[in-house]
Amino acid sequence: MEDIIVVEDLRKVYGKDILAVDGISFSVHRGEVFGFLGPNGAGKSTTIKILTTLLEKTSGRAAIDGLDIDKDQAAVRRIIGYSSQEVGVDDDLTARENLLLQCSFHHIPKEKAIQRAEQLLETVKLQEAADRRLKTFSGGMRKRLDLASSLVSDPKVLILDEPTTGLDPQSRQDIWEYIAELNRQGMTIFLTTQYMEEADRLSDRLCIVDQGKIVAEGTPLELKARIGADIITLSVRSDDPEACQKASTAIAKMEWVKEVGLCSVGLSGDKGLTVMAQNGSAIIPLLVRLLDGIGVQIDQLTLSGPTLDEVFLKLTGRALNVVERKGAVKGRGWGKRGKGT
Amino acid sequence: MMMEWASETAAIFRRWNTKLVRQPIFIFFSLIQPLVWFLLFTQAFSAIGDIPNFAQLTGTASYVTFFTAAVIIQTITSSALGAGLGLVNDLESGFMDKMRVAPINKSAILFGKLFSDAITIVVQVAIILLIGLAIGVEISSGLFGVIMILILAAAFGMAWSGISLFVGLTTKSDQTTLSVGLLTTFPLLFLSAAVMPLGLLPAWVQEVAKVNPFTYVAEAFQSLIIEGFVWDKIGNALIAIIIIAAISLTASILVFRRKIR
Repeated sequence: MEDIIVVEDLRKVYGKDILAVDGISFSVHRGEVFGFLGPNGAGKSTTIKILTTLLEKTSGRAAIDGLDIDKDQAAVRRIIGYSSQEVGVDDDLTARENLLLQCSFHHIPKEKAIQRAEQLLETVKLQEAADRRLKTFSGGMRKRLDLASSLVSDPKVLILDEPTTGLDPQSRQDIWEYIAELNRQGMTIFLTTQYMEEADRLSDRLCIVDQGKIVAEGTPLELKARIGADIITLSVRSDDPEACQKASTAIAKMEWVKEVGLCSVGLSGDKGLTVMAQNGSAIIPLLVRLLDGIGVQIDQLTLSGPTLDEVFLKLTGRALNVVERKGAVKGRGWGKRGKGT
Repeated sequence: MMMEWASETAAIFRRWNTKLVRQPIFIFFSLIQPLVWFLLFTQAFSAIGDIPNFAQLTGTASYVTFFTAAVIIQTITSSALGAGLGLVNDLESGFMDKMRVAPINKSAILFGKLFSDAITIVVQVAIILLIGLAIGVEISSGLFGVIMILILAAAFGMAWSGISLFVGLTTKSDQTTLSVGLLTTFPLLFLSAAVMPLGLLPAWVQEVAKVNPFTYVAEAFQSLIIEGFVWDKIGNALIAIIIIAAISLTASILVFRRKIR
């Protein structure tokens, strides 16, 4: 398949020694949704700012649709649409005015711009609020408008930096639908996210990034297959403080078990274990009997296929803890900008 | 190319005008301080008009008439802060990134804002002049003089805005932009012929005042208010404005190109 974004050995060093992006290479096929998944500080936004020509790279090479991001900066800007984490819309203007303003930045003639704005307002279901000022908008509405405003020029590649961070579940669902629809119409989409579910659901292919490096690349299925195992999560009655440790040692010796890790289960944060094992359904009875034998009582037990969470955990040794950054979407105040990297 | 630049600048100009019309309070914010000076300071210090030689040097024995020029300058410099603050706000809100990713000229982003600020300043200076008329200031150059004052005010405003643009783009901080703007205005005002005629200033202040652009801008306003059209003074003011504009706007555009891709 033809590649529309090609990145080779890209590096970005801030100041003298802060390595934000540490030699990453990847390519995005024309017409796919490509995800960049990683925690805060992984280098996602830095990569995006370099691809959108907003930030100068330290070394490496990157091209979009055959255009070098340095040499053909102006041409690159003509074929991309960009929606940042900060939500670049003007709160004093109405939704329609914001879109018309973006149209004029792209030199779209007035009559065509009016049509385009109307059409985009319809796409993101903001027709009814079209002539209201953004001051009255919710975070989700502002984000939808921001998405629409990055589409005015009908870009070949749409670049989205954490499109749903800080949004409520319904707004997130809406944004996901728009992204999927745009992709069905043939647009290539590059997005970053710190949500496993989002990456899994939207991306055709994805990279998992951590500390400036790509730690894995593939389709969500391929990545999950790397775990090559089912996941059994169980929690134990907590009378005995040693119970978890005892159980863990015993389970690790079982056949089919690949890995055992301690974790906290459920909302109460009970002590529990994550067991990665082949043939999960067959192992459960054995597991229950084993624990019964050593006097550990099971409180809860679930069996699931692997998720990208486990992939991340396995690759980096850390859980991908999503900390909601309040104000990333709504806050527009002085100096409160969510600083992504 | 030129056409593109003009349409980009016009779009950004319209954006800021719309914002201004929707937040008209901002027109009055930067008027508060100059008005306090205009209405209170000139009353408390009205005896300055009785100083021997004051009337010979200035052409009027009314201190408030003489001081009108200083009030206009203060209004302009305080309004000029808006340019830098506006861009810092755009940098913070992410709107600047949106503009930069669009294929538009950097200088259009700056000039669109500057032209809109010029409009703000014209409205503000017109308000000052109306208040002046109400408290007994007479403008001897008449309606055309008023128009000339407004033109000079707009031009000086755009040139001075360049300084706040430069500070705003360099520091990316609204606090610094505000402080630099506020801290430079008063010393420059008191070290110029805006508050006292040159001839009444101490010798060392006179020397400073002669290289202070505020002196030339103030003298042009003073002459238009007190004497009529004195083309020498208008010409000097224009030269001062052009020099400030050339330096401040070039510096702003350069820092915009280099620091913010």
